[in-house]
Amino acid sequence: MYAIDRHAWTNRWYRHHPGERLLLADGGLLLALTLPPLTAGPLLCALMAGATVAGARVPARAFLGVMALPAGFLLTSAPFLALSLDLSDGVRLAYSPAGAAAALTVTLRSLGALSCLAFLTLTTPVAELVPWLRRVGVPAAVVEIALLIYRLIFIFMERALAGQQAQAARQGYSTRRRGLRSLGLLVATLFQRALERARRLEVGLAARGYVGELRVLTPERRLSPRRLAGIGGLLLAVALGSLLLDRALA
Amino acid sequence: MSPLILAARGLEYDYPGAIAALRGLDLTVPRGRKLALLGANGCGKTTLLLHLNGTLKPSRGQVLLDGQAADYGRRALGAWRNRVGLVLQEPDDQLFSATVYQDVSFGPLNQGLPEAMVRARVEASLETLRITALAQRPTHALSFGQKKRVAIAGVLAMQPEVLILDEPTAGLDPRGVAHLLAALEQLRLAGTTLVFSTHDVDLAYGWADEVAILGQGLVLCQGEALATLADPERLHAAHLKTPTLLALAVAMGVADGPGGPPRTQAALVARLRGRSGDGEEIGEVVAAASP
Repeated sequence: MYAIDRHAWTNRWYRHHPGERLLLADGGLLLALTLPPLTAGPLLCALMAGATVAGARVPARAFLGVMALPAGFLLTSAPFLALSLDLSDGVRLAYSPAGAAAALTVTLRSLGALSCLAFLTLTTPVAELVPWLRRVGVPAAVVEIALLIYRLIFIFMERALAGQQAQAARQGYSTRRRGLRSLGLLVATLFQRALERARRLEVGLAARGYVGELRVLTPERRLSPRRLAGIGGLLLAVALGSLLLDRALA
Repeated sequence: MSPLILAARGLEYDYPGAIAALRGLDLTVPRGRKLALLGANGCGKTTLLLHLNGTLKPSRGQVLLDGQAADYGRRALGAWRNRVGLVLQEPDDQLFSATVYQDVSFGPLNQGLPEAMVRARVEASLETLRITALAQRPTHALSFGQKKRVAIAGVLAMQPEVLILDEPTAGLDPRGVAHLLAALEQLRLAGTTLVFSTHDVDLAYGWADEVAILGQGLVLCQGEALATLADPERLHAAHLKTPTLLALAVAMGVADGPGGPPRTQAALVARLRGRSGDGEEIGEVVAAASP
């Protein structure tokens, strides 16, 4: 998670308007859901990998890393779609050609969609997307809580890690039994600290005029018409390419 | 306009279930000066600071803002906090936004300023603290010193008349301290009143105009920095030590001179150099030892 977040904040496209990346990812998702998956899936994977690695300069390993976990689930479960269960004459599992085609379709469509999400995750910090939620009508309170959670996750991960290291330095994890006990103590302390911190945060915010709404400004970034056109062109190329290839294959 | 921008009269405050934190404390904050609140750990410094911006309400006694008894109504508190900015000791207690720019924009937005003005203020305060390059960085990826400066920038952007800082130099490296003091000096020249708490007598000696020594929930004494810090017994009573530069200057017999005892390392060296005979030698030793 640290690594994903770091890439999201430091990639080459970070300083561009996040709407551009959102357009590419959402446009890609739409294509993954509507176009023939046999051709669109691989094309989208290639496009998103290219955009992430060559465009935003995120290491290929990070892209593969984000793809690996969901793709692993997908690839282990897909083969079962190709089997059909026949209960008419006892329990029989049989290979079904229709099932196999469905499995391939589902896998490729999902991989295409996943690549779009991987691109977005690695190039755009969550915190940049959340304000956009507000613009599309999500209540302010929900958006504020989401942003606070995002910020606090890192504070608590830091605290939890430091606490665990301090416990380990005093042999808190020397046996499994002791380790469990230490972990319990750590969690209990973190809860207490979280409460104290929340109170102090309230003091800090009140000192800056907080009256119930966390309003902030982000630096002004303009949507670049050139880049938007480029993204549109890429998406169009994938759509056309996929349709043409599909016709050629059929 | 009262010459005292803030004052505390007979402040008493008890934390629930704890012994009294403040026990009838008096303090004056003269307009446009640098006031250091000096005291050992647990002497009530932070509690006092929280009273100065209305976060805590005294059990007895009162806080005066510009000569007027403070009003704890919602609207009055808002106006109070626009005039008196508070920077907490732990920057993570104050930074809640994902990026530096967002966080600094929070205060001025709450003041109801138009967007263009908020942006100008954000940029100006980032500039004052020399962290413009960090504007788009995520808050959680900053070093402690950087977080501290962002926290100060966030309060500075509200352009308070009084800036209150709780242990501003705690946890900073020497360069961080130097940068911070330079930025604060710039503010003071622009007319901001500065109040900071510290247990570092050397910082108070080198930098404050006025010092208030706290102990046992009281201000034990308040006055000009040099005069107040020149009394070892008083400092000792508050579990503090004599400032190093002052002790050295006295021991070497150069405490008296034009403008009183030397307040910076450079001034001490210059004075030792200026002495005849062995002074040259000592001056060189001191100069060689300092960067």
